[in-house]
This record gives sequence, C-alpha cells and structure tokens, in this order.
Amino acid sequence: MGNDAALVARVRAGDQSAMADLYDRYSGVVYGVALRVLGNAMAAEDVVQEVFLQLWRKPQAFDTDRGRLAPWLAVIARNRSIDHLRKRPTEDDIDELPISSGVDLEDEAGQRQAAEKVRGVLARLPQEQRKVLEMAFFEGMTHTEIAGKTGEPLGTIKTRIRTGLLALRKAFA
Amino acid sequence: MNGHPQFADALALYALGALDDAQELAALQAHLGACGECRGELEALRADTALLALSAVGPQPPERVRQRLLSAIAAKPRTVQMVPQSYTSSHLRRRWFSIAPTAAMVALAVFSLLLWRELSDTRRDLRRAQAQIEQFQMEFLTKDRELAEAKAVSELVHAPDVKRMTLISAHTLPQPLMKMIYSPQKGSLILMATNAPPLPENKIYELWLLPADGGKPMAAGWFKTDSNGHAMMFHTMEIAGINARGFAVTIEPSGGSPTPTMPIVMEPAS
Repeated sequence: MGNDAALVARVRAGDQSAMADLYDRYSGVVYGVALRVLGNAMAAEDVVQEVFLQLWRKPQAFDTDRGRLAPWLAVIARNRSIDHLRKRPTEDDIDELPISSGVDLEDEAGQRQAAEKVRGVLARLPQEQRKVLEMAFFEGMTHTEIAGKTGEPLGTIKTRIRTGLLALRKAFA
Repeated sequence: MNGHPQFADALALYALGALDDAQELAALQAHLGACGECRGELEALRADTALLALSAVGPQPPERVRQRLLSAIAAKPRTVQMVPQSYTSSHLRRRWFSIAPTAAMVALAVFSLLLWRELSDTRRDLRRAQAQIEQFQMEFLTKDRELAEAKAVSELVHAPDVKRMTLISAHTLPQPLMKMIYSPQKGSLILMATNAPPLPENKIYELWLLPADGGKPMAAGWFKTDSNGHAMMFHTMEIAGINARGFAVTIEPSGGSPTPTMPIVMEPAS
C-alpha cells in the first residue's frame, strides 16, 4: 500500500486508487473524531466526505516533510466538526497546519493501540483536568467559556489545558 | 518552550483555538511572527491535540461513506477533461442552433466557476502573502531595533565628552589600581595609578618590563603619587621593539634602581 508520503504523491498525480487507500487507512480516525464532536452519525459522515474530498482537491496542503498524515487529518477533522457544531461557515480549503508528531499511526492496529494509550493517560488525569481538555477540544469551547461554565479562574483553566497536553506528549515521548 | 514561558499557557490555548482574549491573542501572534522556537512548540502542541483526538478512534464509518467519496472523486478527476473531437466537429455543428443557448449557459457557468475558483485561490494567496509580509515586517523591525542599539552603543563609546569609570563595591576600601598601555613598536607606555598606598620617605614606585623572551626585568620608568595616591607617567624605553609578557611595580629608593627590589607591589591582573 506504501507509506503516507508515497500515497500522497500518487494522490497529487491524480491517482484515485491511492485516495481509496488513504481513506481505508484513516477514515476511522476522521470519523471517530467527527462523531465524538457532533454526536450524530449523518453529520459525521458529511465531515468525512468533506475532509477527504478536500484532500483530494488540494493534496499539496499536506506537507509530507513536516509531519504525519494521521495527526493532521485528526486536527482537520476536529476543526471542521467544530465549524459544523457552531454552524460556522467552513473554509473553502483544508488548512495548511504544520504539525510535528512522531507517532506512527499508519495502520489500524497502530491507531487502536495509540487510542488505548491516550485513553489510559486521560483516565489517569484528574477529572477536572480531563474535563477541561475535552471541553476545549471536542466541544470547541474557548477558555473564557470553560471558565464561565466551570466557575474556575481563567488562569487555572489555562494551566490545566497545557499540563494536560504535556502529559499526553510525555506518554508518547 | 524553555525560552518564553510567559507564552506557554496561551500557546496551548492557541493550538486548540481556545484563546479568546483579543489582547493576549494579538501579543501571542506578534510573538509567533518573530519566534521560531515558539512556532515549533505550537506545532508540537498541535500534535498533542491530535493525540487527544485519538481517544475518539473506534467506530468505523459505514461502507456507504466510502462509496460516496469514491463516486465523488471519480466525478471530479483532477486531470483536464478533453471534449471528444468527433462530437465537436459534426454532431455539435449539426445541432448548433438548438443547443446554443444551453451551451452558452453551461459555458458561462463553467467560466463563472473557474473565475470563482480563481478568485478564491487569489484571496487565499493574498492572505498568505499578507501573513508573510507581516512576518517580514516583524523581522525587519527587530533587526532595525538591534541596529539602532548597536549604533547608539558605538556613538556613546566614541562621544567626545565620554567619561570612563570603574565602579567597585561600596563596602570595601579603595583598591590600588594601575592601568597602563604599552606599544612595543613605539617602545612607549603610559601608566595611570589610583589609590596607591603612600610611599615611605625617599622612596618611589618603579615600573619593570618583563621581556617575553624570559630576559631580566627592564626598568620602565618611575613615579611618585600625589596625596590621593594618584599618578600618571609617560615613559619611552631606551630601545623599541621589546615584547613584554607583563609588567610589575616595586618600591625603590629615589632615583630608581637598576634591578627590582622585592617584593612586587603591583602585578598584572591575569
């Protein structure tokens, strides 16, 4: 099937079968994130369609030298889903978001293994911290909104978000 | 993020799109324009958020989603589609009048679509160019400020009314200090002494040149200090071109000595 860089190169050349391979490899990541954010299967399917179609239309938005495809697609899927959730107009094109990640997620087994590990790290975080991270990432809430909802000071929210993300980083270091 | 911890928390919020304090956002964006280290940390934080996304991995999309996507891709190949020649030459010509309005509308729609895509691409390129210009401006301002600072330092050092001074601890007694410059080629030297201890009667301070070739110390002039322990001496050696590994000062009888009398009272600082 080839690695991500090779598949993206084929997609850039207009190879539809490479796109099918990329879909088979990463549709679970995109769908899982969209379903978690939107809580609606039909809406999540629309996000999957949108993200992969945009990748097909503009594969050069993903820089194979700057990172791996899975984290990039996961973040794009999250951002698109939050746009849908908040009924914001979506951008015409996918974002060129540089993401530096060394986590290898090129097959489904690797993705499931990483997912289990992330869930384990999150489960070990204090509940308030986990909740704040999820509100920011999966609900797209700003830190002011989170502070308003939880009644916690802004500074506390900020620190919880950063230390939570760093805990995840450390687990995969 | 070791370099700029003041932005650490805001950067994590920014990676999540959760920073909504306009002032803080503007300050962070300005900083990111000029700080590669923090841009790198932003990329790492985005990767951390992607790890968070993985916690949602599990459910798989239904097969219809794959079919829908592949159909859409097949309908929108990126290669340029050529209209078959036979169709344009005979079929189209024969029915030209009947399909002309529709063809014109389709052509207009295609043209509009192309224009719209072009406009969209141009707008995006413009946004990127603007971001790049802002970054260049930021870098230029930084360089400009550094240059202005360097110029100000240079002007200060060369100012005609410049005063040089050395500050020492206010809680210690003034230390004897002798500063000197020596040019082997000219064979000349200048010595300035401050806070030198008072000399016994009929005694002077004598300066000795210690030759670099290990030769015997050579008399390099003598001087007396005033009541404040200050003195200045200009001296020319009998011959020029002697390289010195250092200088030393001893106390000698008035009129100077041909060889130094121990102990050495002043010697090079390092």
